[in-house]
Amino acid sequence: MLLYTSVWIWVRFPALLAFAATGASLPESSPQARDLETLLRPLLERAYGYALRLVRNGADAEDLLQEAALAAVRGFGGFQLGTNFKAWFFQILTNCFYGRHRRLAREGQPTDLENVPDLYLYQRTAEAGLHQTVPDPARHVLSRLDQEEILQALDSLPEEYRSVSALYFIDDFSYQEIGDVLSVPVGTVRSRLHRGRKLLQQRLWRAALDHGIVPHATEQRP
Amino acid sequence: MTTPDRFTCEQVFQRINDYLDRELSADEMRLVREHLDTCAVCAREYAFEGSVLDELKAKLRRIDVPRSALEKVEAILKRRA
Repeated sequence: MLLYTSVWIWVRFPALLAFAATGASLPESSPQARDLETLLRPLLERAYGYALRLVRNGADAEDLLQEAALAAVRGFGGFQLGTNFKAWFFQILTNCFYGRHRRLAREGQPTDLENVPDLYLYQRTAEAGLHQTVPDPARHVLSRLDQEEILQALDSLPEEYRSVSALYFIDDFSYQEIGDVLSVPVGTVRSRLHRGRKLLQQRLWRAALDHGIVPHATEQRP
Repeated sequence: MTTPDRFTCEQVFQRINDYLDRELSADEMRLVREHLDTCAVCAREYAFEGSVLDELKAKLRRIDVPRSALEKVEAILKRRA
C-alpha cells in the first residue's frame, strides 16, 4: 500500500521526483531542514484540520499528516524558497490523500444541486419568520449549532465540494491557491465553492430542524 | 468588454459570493459596493451571507490537534534537522 501511495505521489507531483531521483535527503542540520521546520510548524494545526475533513477520522488524519510531512521533507529540495509554501504543502497533503484514499476521494456522487436554490438559508429563515423577530437570523441559527454539528454537515458533502470547502473555511486560501492545491482551474474552484456553500446551507438547515433550533413546520417549503 | 457604470440587483446577486471573498476586480468590487449602498434588499442578503460565513469560519477554525499528531511530525522533522 505504501509503495502504491508513493508511486501515486510521484506521478501526481513530478517536482518531487527530480529530487527523489538523486536519492538524497536533507543533510544533517542543513539550512534547508531548518527552513522547512520554520515554514511547516505554523501550518500544522490547519493542515491537520484539512486532513481531518478529507478522511473524516482522527487516526487516518494523523497518518495523512505524517505522510505529507515525510513527503515534504523528501521533496523540499524542489521547493523554491520565497514561493507559496502553504499551497505547496497542502498540495502534497492532498496528493497523499488521493494516493491513500482513492475510494474515499471518489465517494459521494456529485449531488444534483438544481433543487437547492441560491440563498437557501436566507429563504428558509425568512419563511420561519426569523427576519422579523431577530436582528441577525444567520447568527441566530448557526450559533445554536455546535462545532461538531457543523463539522458533520461539512463532512457530509461529496468529496469534490468537501475538499474545496475545507480549504476555504479552514484557512484564508484564495481561489487561486485552492486551485493550485487541488490542481484545478480557478473557475472550477469558484463553481465548486458556490455549489458547496449551497449544499452546506441546506445540510445546516436540516441540522437546525433536527435539533429543534427552528420549528419543523417550515420544512414543508422546497 | 467595457465595464458598466452600475450593476443591477441580478448582476450583484451573481457576484455576491465573489464579493464576500474579495475575488472581483477593483471595478467590480466598487460597482457591487455602490449598489449595496443604495439597495436595501441586496444589502440585507449580503449581510446575511456575510454573517453565515463569519459564523462558519469562527467554528471551523477552532481545531484541536492531538498531541500524538504533532509528535509524529516533530519526530520526522527532528530526524532531518
